[in-house]
Amino acid sequence: MAQRADPFEQEALSYLDALYRTALRMTRSEADAEDVVQETYIRAFRFRDQFTPGTNMKAWLFRILTNTFINSYRRKAAQPPTTELDDVEETTLHRHMTEGGAEAAPEPERVVLDSMVDSEIREAIEDLHEHFRTVVLLDVEGFAYKEIAELLDIPIGTVMSRLHRGRRFLQRRLYDLARDRGIAAAKAMPRPLPASEQGRRA
Amino acid sequence: MDCEKCLERLHPYLDRELTAKDLDEVRVHLDECGGCDSAFVFERVFLERVKGSATSDVAPPGVRERLILRIRADVRRGS
Repeated sequence: MAQRADPFEQEALSYLDALYRTALRMTRSEADAEDVVQETYIRAFRFRDQFTPGTNMKAWLFRILTNTFINSYRRKAAQPPTTELDDVEETTLHRHMTEGGAEAAPEPERVVLDSMVDSEIREAIEDLHEHFRTVVLLDVEGFAYKEIAELLDIPIGTVMSRLHRGRRFLQRRLYDLARDRGIAAAKAMPRPLPASEQGRRA
Repeated sequence: MDCEKCLERLHPYLDRELTAKDLDEVRVHLDECGGCDSAFVFERVFLERVKGSATSDVAPPGVRERLILRIRADVRRGS
């Protein structure tokens, strides 16, 4: 018998890529991401009667996803090395660039932004502490502060502070990567060149 | 509004989460203050770049097919 088109299934599957990449950054493992996503959809289909048509299915699915992760995978997920939380509180990349080595390039901020590559940005997000990472991931998928607060059952003020700090960490990390490549403000933060590069630069 | 207050509203402004009153005050300050304005412009470009990178990858081949098979098997078992 041919499968009839099921509007619930069609809409639910349209969020697969978003759910998968979010699960991948939470679990840091392709196999676990696929398991989390499968479990999310299995639950969604079992409890589809609890979904009110016309309401936000994406938010509903992401709520199931984050709960599935928290209940089943969080302990297993490889935790990134702890970062000193207070270290970067109010350090912004912009401030670094404008107060540090602004003379290094005509538009140093732009140079740093242009030098960032997708894989580095994704890794930097994965390396965030879980509190910050979850909020950052939901933000990039387009959820409003209030929606994130409801998804995670945390106050909206907590969403705002975690998002703010998560973004600060990301900037610091990406700035450090750019600096290590010698693109940004090398003068402001000198480091010894590896032996292999010394000959070339001289 | 001073620079400190303005920078506190950097993310809510860029995320379109400010109240109308705060929004007006931030706009007035940004018109007058080049330093804050350039910080806001930089942050906006940075966040767009992060969002672009973070949302451009898709599930690998096979994930969708395996998922659909599992969902349908589960639905059949349950019904």
